[in-house]
Amino acid sequence: MSKQERILGDLAEGVVSMDTDLAVKASREAVEEKIDAYLAINEGLVKGMNEAGRLYEEEEYFVPELLLASDALYAGLEILTPHIVRTKEGEKSKIILGVVQGDTHDIGKNLVKIMLEVGGFEVIDLGRDVPAEAFIDKAKEVNAGMIGLSTLMTTTMPVMKKVVELLEQENLKDKIRVLVGGGPVSPAFAKSIGADGYAENANNAVRVAKSLLAVE
Amino acid sequence: MLDQMTAVERFQALAKGEPIDRLPCVPIVGNGAARVIGVKISSLRGNGDLIAKAQIESYKYFKYDIIRIFTDLYQQAEAMGATVYYPEDETAYLQAPAIKELSEIDRLEPADPYRDGNLPAHLEAMKIAVAEVGNEVPVTGAVTGPFTTASFLRGADELIRDMYRAPEAVHRLCELSLETALRYARAMLDAGCAPSLTDPMGSSTVISPRQFQQFAAPYLKRLIDYIHSRGKAVTLHICGKTNKIWEAMAEAGADCLSLDNEIDLEEAKNKIGHRVRLMGNVRPSEVMLEGTVEDVEAAVKKCIRQAYDNPKGYIVASGCSLPTETPFVNITTMMSAVRTYGRFP
Repeated sequence: MSKQERILGDLAEGVVSMDTDLAVKASREAVEEKIDAYLAINEGLVKGMNEAGRLYEEEEYFVPELLLASDALYAGLEILTPHIVRTKEGEKSKIILGVVQGDTHDIGKNLVKIMLEVGGFEVIDLGRDVPAEAFIDKAKEVNAGMIGLSTLMTTTMPVMKKVVELLEQENLKDKIRVLVGGGPVSPAFAKSIGADGYAENANNAVRVAKSLLAVE
Repeated sequence: MLDQMTAVERFQALAKGEPIDRLPCVPIVGNGAARVIGVKISSLRGNGDLIAKAQIESYKYFKYDIIRIFTDLYQQAEAMGATVYYPEDETAYLQAPAIKELSEIDRLEPADPYRDGNLPAHLEAMKIAVAEVGNEVPVTGAVTGPFTTASFLRGADELIRDMYRAPEAVHRLCELSLETALRYARAMLDAGCAPSLTDPMGSSTVISPRQFQQFAAPYLKRLIDYIHSRGKAVTLHICGKTNKIWEAMAEAGADCLSLDNEIDLEEAKNKIGHRVRLMGNVRPSEVMLEGTVEDVEAAVKKCIRQAYDNPKGYIVASGCSLPTETPFVNITTMMSAVRTYGRFP
């Protein structure tokens, strides 16, 4: 095994084993050995996170494990990101993400944010208890291609409908896709409010987001 | 199809294995009771009289089988120092946990239910409800499970990480929360009210079954043991996915499992119905909030078909608390559907 292979392996292992120390150590080694930072991130850290996501789908990993894996991921990213050589690979698609007004349950949304960033999106996280107008305003401000709405409560689902209605009013429905998710949200609900997509969990969110934005 | 027994009579007969007229039915109304008396939810805050009035009037209107004095999950955590936000006309939510750093655990103390937060008001509401209608309908008081309360003291994202990073701290927070729950349960029982437990953070939607066993179950067991020592049976509600913790919930001593719409009642009956009563699982959102009366009827029929013959008994119920704006007609339809299809010959 080459040194590069071993370091990439450690990066992935650090993330999937929730071992922040290992992820940090391997990230520093990657910088020292002048391994391409983008490669180290995608073939190392992100690979580990995808494995964590797979374990979550298989009900081996649960929310705590995903959060801890993401802690390791972000610790490594902090070291490696400054070393990325900016190529002309194009702008990342922007997604405005938030938990809708009246709701503060954000564990799921935080996981979706992580997975979307891992998937190559630029996520602007508006946090929780976010009014419908705020999603639209931010999306317009940064020229986002998508809005992602999350809620765990049934009582706040109408806010999602309001976001879609506001987009329609401003003739932005074709430009900005709406992706919805959360405990009480269903594909039927998504369809009934005119949302463009529904995702069942953080892992699926990336897949749906990519297909909605026709990103490969 | 009129009832031939009061709810109390029905549950007493059920406990003795005697004939009942129909399956019990509990649409879990929660703060929707405020809609029955036309007040804003924020007006219930700290007002025992009004909480009682709302829940009693709601019971009288819909004639379901259990009154549950409940406004939100955060009351015990708030009494211990968590910050809760009260919207003008919606259910309260956690604004900030009680502590920012683990070192602050030393400052936390269990709450006194006769003095701290809104617990005294809830106890007052329970006393009033028991006095007014306790002879005809069981009056229960909602108690948030220790692990869930711990998550409100610490912050959910942090607590679930702490299970790995600082497990002793999680146990300390659960211990403190348990003490509050025990005191609260004792006060409820002294007021003639039966504690009813909810522990959503223990759900497999959030933590693994093994973590449930390690961090949630031991404290539930101690709380349930106490309630049992006072002669009352315990219903335990955990939202979301619970298939892999049904055994553990029964082991903790729960007499009745209140289950959410994500699980299959028939599967629960087959796996655990020989040990515990089951309650559930009409969809609160898709069916009760958004569905037509036909949808409600169909859902009730399905549940009855799946679990009417559960060895330890079955209560038709919503899978979780009903959304505040659930149409009244859907709740009355749920009751009439059980009166029609849940009758015993």
